[in-house]
Amino acid sequence: MCGLFSRFCHKRSAVFGLALLLLISALAILAPVLYPVEPGEMIAPPLLWPGESAAFPLGSDQLGRDMAAGLAHGARSALLIGMVSSAAAISIGVAIGAFCGYCAGSMLESALMRVVELFQTMPQFILALVVISLFSPSFLVTIVAIATVSWPPIARLVRAEVLSLRQLDFVKAAIGMGMRDPLIVLVEILPNCLAPIVVTSSLVVASAILTESGLSFLGLGDPNLVTWGSMIGLGRSNLRSAWYLVAEPGAALLLTVLSLNLVTEGLNDALNVRLTTRMQG
Amino acid sequence: MAERFDTPMNHAMGTGLGQMSRRSLMRAAAGLTLSCLPGHAFAGVPRRGGTLASALWPEPPMLVAALTSQDQTLMLSTKLLEGLVSYGYDKVPQPRLATSWETSPDGLSIQLSLRRGVKWHDGEDFTSADVAFTIMQILKKYHPLGRVIFSRVNEVATPDSHSVVLRLAQPSPMIMTSLGGFISPILPKHLYESGDPLRNPANAAPIGTGPFRFKEWRRGSAIIFERNPSYWDEGKPHLDRLVYRLLGDGATRSAALEAGEVLIAGPNPVPFSELERFRNNPQFAVERRGEELLMHMQALQINLRHPELSKPQLRQAIYHAIDRNALIRAVWYGAAQVSDSPIPLQAGDMHADDLPSYPYDPARAQALLDSAGLPAASDGTRLRLRLDWVPSGQEALLTAQFIRQSLRRIGIDIEVRSFDLATYIRQIYNDYDFDLNVMTYFPTVDPSVGVQRFYWSKAASKGTPFVNASGFSAPEVDRLLEQASTENDPARRRDLVHQFQRNVMTSLPILPLVDLDYVSIVSQRVHGVMLRPEGIRDNFADVWIDQ
Repeated sequence: MCGLFSRFCHKRSAVFGLALLLLISALAILAPVLYPVEPGEMIAPPLLWPGESAAFPLGSDQLGRDMAAGLAHGARSALLIGMVSSAAAISIGVAIGAFCGYCAGSMLESALMRVVELFQTMPQFILALVVISLFSPSFLVTIVAIATVSWPPIARLVRAEVLSLRQLDFVKAAIGMGMRDPLIVLVEILPNCLAPIVVTSSLVVASAILTESGLSFLGLGDPNLVTWGSMIGLGRSNLRSAWYLVAEPGAALLLTVLSLNLVTEGLNDALNVRLTTRMQG
Repeated sequence: MAERFDTPMNHAMGTGLGQMSRRSLMRAAAGLTLSCLPGHAFAGVPRRGGTLASALWPEPPMLVAALTSQDQTLMLSTKLLEGLVSYGYDKVPQPRLATSWETSPDGLSIQLSLRRGVKWHDGEDFTSADVAFTIMQILKKYHPLGRVIFSRVNEVATPDSHSVVLRLAQPSPMIMTSLGGFISPILPKHLYESGDPLRNPANAAPIGTGPFRFKEWRRGSAIIFERNPSYWDEGKPHLDRLVYRLLGDGATRSAALEAGEVLIAGPNPVPFSELERFRNNPQFAVERRGEELLMHMQALQINLRHPELSKPQLRQAIYHAIDRNALIRAVWYGAAQVSDSPIPLQAGDMHADDLPSYPYDPARAQALLDSAGLPAASDGTRLRLRLDWVPSGQEALLTAQFIRQSLRRIGIDIEVRSFDLATYIRQIYNDYDFDLNVMTYFPTVDPSVGVQRFYWSKAASKGTPFVNASGFSAPEVDRLLEQASTENDPARRRDLVHQFQRNVMTSLPILPLVDLDYVSIVSQRVHGVMLRPEGIRDNFADVWIDQ
């Protein structure tokens, strides 16, 4: 573990990404402490520019809502939705992928893989829109929608990994020893494909955050929740007169996704030992 | 501000109908002199030729306004299909397909003489049979508001090929106010008499009598009309072509206007935050005219079936808790007025003056809640309500968020819900599963058509959108509305409408929020658009562009 961390720290961009991510997470966690007033509260004069008032350093929107409070609470909803929906997607994806990889050739496996392909033929975002429009937009529905569209690529990845690991000697040995299949998958195979899963997971979180913002931008997010996407969507009509309404949440979104990507890259290099040694060597 | 889901209506209430036909002839004479003059302001002589490009959004489902009241449909339909009359700014009818009209003294029949020598775009003659067929078989059966307007028409007789007589079961002043082209266009009988009118191919490529003929509909891109060379009003139209470009995004429309790619757009073509820039640009006129026959209001519809919302103190408290001046600044950028009645201030003498007022007063609201038996819990919350908004644009959502924050301050916790249009209609107007609903509507100048539907107990009908969904039923209000709808005497009718307003502004089944100013943006190169209150929904026969 220590080795992993030091390998991770070799890459400066990864450290920067991690620091940024920790900062955003801290903001998200501390949002209710830093901005105890609900972010929807209209406490400022409307359309205050950033820097115009010391009390509202990032300005206010057309209803007089504090932009800084919106950004902090937006970080909270972005990370929460991103992580919860990714956790759901990864659980589904790993479970189905592991089963399909281990039981390749069975009827159920080919049926499941056809389902995966069906999902992959449809653009993710459009599919999420469909799921949302089946229900009315809310926090839970957003998570369900994102999880629904995010699991198939993970399932395919895990299946491929399991498929190749299954042929290896240590798995054959385990079978020979009479270990039961679920145990083999859980104890022998999955720990060995953890690296690609971890790497993909952080990318899935980033894309979940982006999907959520896209949905909120289109007005399909939970209307009671302040999110960066909804801030951009509502600020869009003021783009020419008050561009900061879009630029601020846009920058927050950019930094979050960037930090996740940098961390992913760092993790990928750190987990891929041969690559790291080659780079060092 | 996107589409409207509501319906327009023309009107000339308050004038005896016999008198109307005399006055209309004078109007016609005035119209003749006017049409020799330039349309817009005081510019020169109308120039023949040219293409007028307009912005259009969203894409209309069809081009015939006799079957739907979708705003984009009626904006296009009016160029191709005409009504029997048009209206002046005084809301008095002027001749169009009908040249004169007369209501019998008992109010039970209306006789109209039709214009001779009018031909459909396919060369057939326009006759009284077309009018009788359209009113009885199309408007009365299929038009969302035509069912109300023509409900008392028993038959349409055709004594000869160019006159019709509407025979009524009861006097119905709303008919003469509703014969304009954007609510009651006349369709060609020879194309619509067989088959289902809703599936008629002519709905997408209409054959009309109007100044323009249908040329082409490029789905998702543009709709093009060309000049009708054999239009009955000789020398008109002035333009060669009308091109409606589909531009779905407000910022794009704003850029297209400024680049001169479209010369006219409305209603509310650009984000409200950008209106000021257009007002300061000498190349454009930001027109508030052209909405007088419809008018626009935003209101909060309340579900009185809710055990708490049935208490008048709670409804008054909600009204007192909303700072509508701040709402106008924040959401509508000043393009609205605080409203105190379901009938807007622009409606002139139909609007009653001595109405109870509910100024912004959170302390009063708190006191009313206490008296309603809704004490604050330890966290300050008194009750929880759901708030829905019509998905017609960002302004409705912002209004919902504004109301949410306003009501939270007096201890009413609000959950804002978002629905697509179909779900919204089902939720509010079919399932009645709502507490508060931010809606916009056309009050129209005839309250019997535009306002009655939200208050009349018999207008409530499960599944019919944009009617009484509050569960409001008051015998006195029903009586006033019913009498007003059959009262031909203008003064007596006005009295009834005033009494109605006093009544519903005391009982408050609906909280009128603001009277909205809808605007069109017209390039200064374009003339003759705002000659009549139909504005951008007029037939554009008088419109011309200079070099």
